Amino acid sequence: MPGSWLHPLAWGFVFVGMTNSSAFAGTARSTLDDLIGPARMQRLATARPLGDAIVLEGLAKTYPDGTEAVRGISLRVAAGESFGILGPNGAGKSTTIGMLSTLVKPTAGRATVAGFDVVAEPTEVRRRIGFAMQQAGVDDFATPKELMILQGRLHGLRKHEAAARAGLLLGVMELAEEADRRLATLSGGIKRRVDLAASLMHLPAVLFLDEPTEGLDPRSRSGVWDTLDRLRSRLGITLVLTTHYMEEGDRLCERIAIIDRGTVVGQGAPAALKATVGGDTTLEDVYLHYTGRPLDDTRVAA
Amino acid sequence: MNAPAQVLLLAQRALVQFPRNPILLGFSVMPVLIMYLVFGGLFEGVAELPGFPTDNYFEYLAPTAILLATVPGVGNAGVALAADFQNGYFHKLLTTPTSVGAVMLGRLLGDCVRLAVQAGLVLLLAIALGAEVATGVPGALLMIVMGTLLGIVTFGAISANLAIRTRDAAAVQAIQPMAFLLIFLTSAYQSSDQIDSGVLRTIIELNPAEHVLRPMRELMLSGYDWGDIGIGFLAIAALAAVALPLTARNYRSAYS
Repeated sequence: MPGSWLHPLAWGFVFVGMTNSSAFAGTARSTLDDLIGPARMQRLATARPLGDAIVLEGLAKTYPDGTEAVRGISLRVAAGESFGILGPNGAGKSTTIGMLSTLVKPTAGRATVAGFDVVAEPTEVRRRIGFAMQQAGVDDFATPKELMILQGRLHGLRKHEAAARAGLLLGVMELAEEADRRLATLSGGIKRRVDLAASLMHLPAVLFLDEPTEGLDPRSRSGVWDTLDRLRSRLGITLVLTTHYMEEGDRLCERIAIIDRGTVVGQGAPAALKATVGGDTTLEDVYLHYTGRPLDDTRVAA
Repeated sequence: MNAPAQVLLLAQRALVQFPRNPILLGFSVMPVLIMYLVFGGLFEGVAELPGFPTDNYFEYLAPTAILLATVPGVGNAGVALAADFQNGYFHKLLTTPTSVGAVMLGRLLGDCVRLAVQAGLVLLLAIALGAEVATGVPGALLMIVMGTLLGIVTFGAISANLAIRTRDAAAVQAIQPMAFLLIFLTSAYQSSDQIDSGVLRTIIELNPAEHVLRPMRELMLSGYDWGDIGIGFLAIAALAAVALPLTARNYRSAYS
């Protein structure tokens, strides 16, 4: 059965936890433990999914103007894994993540996310994914709380569930003070955190992050990393992120794929990739080795 | 969550969004009210011409003012849609289990309510200036419905398609004055019998907006002419038959 590796029982425990909590009362000091419920972690651990969360087989995208953005990528990302995609401008990172999130239609090959085909079963895929985009996708006329509640409602949460979940996530993301301010008045960094929080409203099985900490100050960046780390380790969320911060790749990703000109030129655990280059290397050296150019030349993500 | 519930949620979002933009709110209502007052005052004497259907020009002009509120006014929906594209929110919505159709209908429904309220405000101003609706409240509501639907299937569709294609709010705003042409090329300000130019009369007859405006004016001035009302709704249906599939097709192109 497609998607059978998911853990609906575990999510069910989390949802019940949400509805029973005094959500907004505790927003100022909410932690991830409030969101998840520490007592349920043991059950979550036993229900943790096994197998591949994401499978790409010869996935390709050629745009109508003939541009071959992705040229037959094959990858597997295990459930609960944190997977990074690195590559220079135009390498095909964003197109790949776009195809996996059902926003871009592949022209060849196939991909499944959470056990569902991205072309044949896009709605089932969308039920199971969150996507924090490179450009924070927020409605400037809404408040963070309203935006998150709408996001939760569109994912099928009841009104009080969505409100409770939004309250907790605003606390987790240290956004409680901004909860009722119009997004138009908030900084780009805060909007990105709101976007990320909104992407988590339905506690997705797979979370796509396109340059998740671009534009954030070091403290916020560290906070986001910490939150993502714990989401993954405690809820078994599969993370797929593009980044040009080598430190981010090292810190968050268990495995990395380096993409260049629409194909995977190297993949593996950061330590294993470093070992292929040899000596006392950094991830930046690995990047240079596989793409032939330094990261600074390719700052903006493709 | 089922599709109708998603549509209602997104309509609610569109409605909440609008009053939070005071500039948009002001500029979609105030010019219509000002035009109504200015044109009504300037051309008041037209009502004294022999054969003019009423001696109160503000009454004659009220259905025109409703169209001025709904047809150019609906362009703001296209602007809002383009803004959603520009700030990435449209694609954020597409990563939820919401269908493109629900996103489209939600916006449409929200805008229908907004346009109906704007048209109602214009009609209230007309009544305050001494105009009377011959068919009473039911006729007034029917006028508002017809005006709103015409706005949605004409300039609403044009601005939405332009928003999807260009994803640029400024481009959508730039074509907004074109909406006035649709209204000006009708018997909006003068009975077509009193227009000398045969060419202009032919253009007016060919303009679908004229066939919606005519029964609206009858509702305002004389009574129910179900034949003309039927023709009005047929004109709206014909426009919708072209506009809605085209818009739906363009919406689907949001997935590249």
